Amino acid sequence: MKKFVFFFLLCILTAVSAHSADDAASRAMKLFERRHYAEAVVALRADLPSVEQGRQGAANLTLGMIYLKNAELHRELYRESLSVHLDYLKKVVAAPGKDRSRFADLYMGEALLETGKITDALTHLEKFAADTSVQQKYRTIAKASIGLGLFLQNDKQKAEETWAGLDASDPEITMSLAAVYSKAGLKDKNAVALAEEGLADLKKSGSAPTMQDIKNVLTVYATTGLSDKGLDLIKRADLKAFSFQESLGRTKVINFYDPSLLNDLSGLYLQASIASLEKATGDAKLRDTANYYLGEAYALSGNIDQSARATASFISSPQMPQHYRDKAAVRQAANQYQKGRKSYAIATWNDLAKKKPGDPDLLAEILLECDRLKVDCPTILEKAIDSIEEGEGKGFSTLNIAVGRYYLGRKDYAKAVSYIEAGRDKGNKNKIESNDPLMLVSLADAYYRTKEFSEALEIYFEMSKQFPEVRQIQEALQGIYATEHKSAGDVKIF
Amino acid sequence: MKRILLVLLSLVVVTFAVTFSAGAGPKKDGRPDGGSLSYGEYGRPATLDPITSNEMISLRLTELIFNGLVGINEKQEIVPELAEKWEHSPDGRTYTFYLRKDVTWHPREGEVPKPFTAEDVIFTYKIMMHPRTITPLKVRYEFIESVEKVDDYTVKFTLKRPILNALAKFSFKIIPKHGPTNPVYLTRDDQFVQNPIGTGPYILKNITAEREIVLVANDNYFKGRPHIDRFIAKPFADQNIMTQALMFNAIDMIVLVNPRDIPEIQGDKRFILQPYNALSYSFFGYNVRNPFLADKRVRKAFTYAVNRQEMLDSFFNGQGTIISGPFAPGSWAYNLDVQPLPFDPQKAIALLQEAGFTKGADGFMQKDGKTLALSLKVPIEKESEAVKRVVLAFKNYLKNIGVDVEVEFKEWQAWKEDVFLEHDFDIVFASWVFDDSADISSLFHSGEIGPWKNNFGGYSNPEVDSLINESKLTLDHEKRRTINRKLHAILADESPYTFLWTLTNYAAYNKKVRRVAIHPYKFFSYADEWFIDEKDQK
Repeated sequence: MKKFVFFFLLCILTAVSAHSADDAASRAMKLFERRHYAEAVVALRADLPSVEQGRQGAANLTLGMIYLKNAELHRELYRESLSVHLDYLKKVVAAPGKDRSRFADLYMGEALLETGKITDALTHLEKFAADTSVQQKYRTIAKASIGLGLFLQNDKQKAEETWAGLDASDPEITMSLAAVYSKAGLKDKNAVALAEEGLADLKKSGSAPTMQDIKNVLTVYATTGLSDKGLDLIKRADLKAFSFQESLGRTKVINFYDPSLLNDLSGLYLQASIASLEKATGDAKLRDTANYYLGEAYALSGNIDQSARATASFISSPQMPQHYRDKAAVRQAANQYQKGRKSYAIATWNDLAKKKPGDPDLLAEILLECDRLKVDCPTILEKAIDSIEEGEGKGFSTLNIAVGRYYLGRKDYAKAVSYIEAGRDKGNKNKIESNDPLMLVSLADAYYRTKEFSEALEIYFEMSKQFPEVRQIQEALQGIYATEHKSAGDVKIF
Repeated sequence: MKRILLVLLSLVVVTFAVTFSAGAGPKKDGRPDGGSLSYGEYGRPATLDPITSNEMISLRLTELIFNGLVGINEKQEIVPELAEKWEHSPDGRTYTFYLRKDVTWHPREGEVPKPFTAEDVIFTYKIMMHPRTITPLKVRYEFIESVEKVDDYTVKFTLKRPILNALAKFSFKIIPKHGPTNPVYLTRDDQFVQNPIGTGPYILKNITAEREIVLVANDNYFKGRPHIDRFIAKPFADQNIMTQALMFNAIDMIVLVNPRDIPEIQGDKRFILQPYNALSYSFFGYNVRNPFLADKRVRKAFTYAVNRQEMLDSFFNGQGTIISGPFAPGSWAYNLDVQPLPFDPQKAIALLQEAGFTKGADGFMQKDGKTLALSLKVPIEKESEAVKRVVLAFKNYLKNIGVDVEVEFKEWQAWKEDVFLEHDFDIVFASWVFDDSADISSLFHSGEIGPWKNNFGGYSNPEVDSLINESKLTLDHEKRRTINRKLHAILADESPYTFLWTLTNYAAYNKKVRRVAIHPYKFFSYADEWFIDEKDQK
């Protein structure tokens, strides 16, 4: 992280020679270094209009970088949350007894829709929608999602019929419909107007929006590119709140969350990142640096051509440090891989690793790309492991983590734990100031898969202090742990 | 015949087949036998048997010496140990265990090894549950109604009611019928608790003059002889010395690394640091038999008075997490909505005043002519530099709100007698370690008040009792989870303890010890699989 920030700071200092130490960008940068992304954004976003023209580029670059890191993190959190939620909801759905949850079917259906398992999703959603003991409003919300499922199955007529039959007089239903229209990409439905109308109606009635409502509006903003509105809404929301609380009897309460919230957050941060970085390219002194991060942001958004253009521009700039140009070359090869030039990409990575055998960060970069694209890279892996065996100290921490994440992607969880742990700063093992939260999420996942739940929960507990939205993962994980622990009930003094 | 078979099958829900049958003799996994492993402990165990002990040092040793009917493997699955298979009735009320026939007890000198049989299982259960046996285990097994011998290698347990996770409860360690001198009940005076024999991978050889505990490999271990020849537990009063001992190869492993030494060990390529238990926490516990401490406002005032974050940062390099209640944050039962009380000395003073205290001329709070002066007892094994600072800081924080605390360090056994037997204390500093069942019943249920029981502070609250009972009775995981969240909120408010923090728990070991898997609670559960390459064997 320090190296990463150092490069950027160098660029900023070059661009703005005067009083940079105390300006908004520097303050935000310090928060960013400590991985306090939300605080960094708040600090800089508020000051942005008052930043003088000559320093706007630096401010935008800083903002773009922060958003990008936050987008990457939330993309990972979303994946993790979805996976954990599916495991958890399976258990809740399967639980027998008179106090069986009814809403588990709704949330299971929604989660399955997210994963693209439409038929299974519809089974759960239809079961829930048919349950007459459930309040009509929630059954209608389920039907809105059934419409989406049908739409995604290309049964557009039936989807339209389903939606047309819904009574949308309740603002919460209006917002749910807006969200499903957005997800279906139906521009003619004017989802933004519908969502905002729902919010306004709710306000008029004196009710505060639930987390479910906020999530729906965020979905609309994220899918329609209204990142500023989305970010404003995020700032006001209690991101740790559940979407729905189901009470069953006197002493049974289940909180339900929407994993898709994390995807929306990721999408909004990514859009904001691209917008800020594009603005930063307007500053000639910062253009190359901004292109470096833009290449990464475009790649994350799936826009490979633009990523390739921005990355090529950075690589061709001779004044940029070779180390970063090598790293950009790794990404460029990944872009080529995605465009179908697979052998070329793998050959490029192998060449880079051969040319720079002593550069653990470069090897790490390649392995992370292999992991992202799910490519087998045995030669690079072997080099990385050899390098770790020979090396010592913190300089190899990134490489250890990359090897761990590579193994995690291949479901070799024991090795994943071992390598990521080797890269973790154990003196402050769960502190995001000392350990990249992205790495901690990977480690938590590896611990979850090896059923070391408490290690995973500890990570999220600490992380939730900065990222309250991880509460949804914590609660689902606790739910799984509650059913899976196998011990006798012992407690001892030590 | 077919019909009989069908009926029999329908009565049986689960039959677990044997998944391994290594048998006595060397393991056939191609890994070398030999070598010795010395590990550093932060104190000496009071007893070495699995029944009378209630501390972690003993637990780790008993894991090497004994076995349960079932065990837990590295994937956290329940697996056969002394029982090779089992079945339970459809209503979950009877569990029948079929025992291995190839297990023998560690022989005493000059003895022929005796076979392990159903008699030993019944003996263990009966001695454990005897009213005069001193053990924290009784509360955990009160759900068993009866046990009977079906034949020499079959035992049947009948439960009073079906319970969640019942099978895991049968992981309690079995002791030999011919072990204890007194065959009826077990106390700490019985020679067996200091010189036990078991069925496990290691045999207790001797305790040296330096109080080192030497264990040697059991050649007849039913899972195959463990690879490492000797395990030696070395007690260290000072954790700093323990780290140095590791650095200078005087020991090969530390079971609990001093948080301050983590960076030093992590920076040394010879060692591996492994986190292994997140389910522990430290606390100041109050004796509510003291009328002052019976008032919740007073206990709560103490929690407001101490700056826990400052203590954690200053004395443990911030390597831990402040907690708000009776569960660790790594537990499934932790209530995420309950926040730790903030450091607020003014609020603390206000609460004391509300409870009827006024400041006397000497600066200490008084009520009914009595000064708010309390004793704080700390076990000497905890006399690490960090712990000394914690208790001193606590004393000073309380002095700031007008409470006079006298700190007394006591030898481990004497401390335990004062706290658990005599209840002769006002405040204690201690730590609990939990397995992952999140079972706090022995700590806060009023039925657990009494000599050698874990509710040493005498805390009693009918609502807490009722919730604990309900939690034990339910077969619904989500319901139990909700109840535990509620318990967390109540106990955080009631403050029978000032809940402090959960610390980073790391084990450290020399890389020469291979294939190390550590059980998150019992630690040495898989130690028979560990090995040392021949080139590294001393």
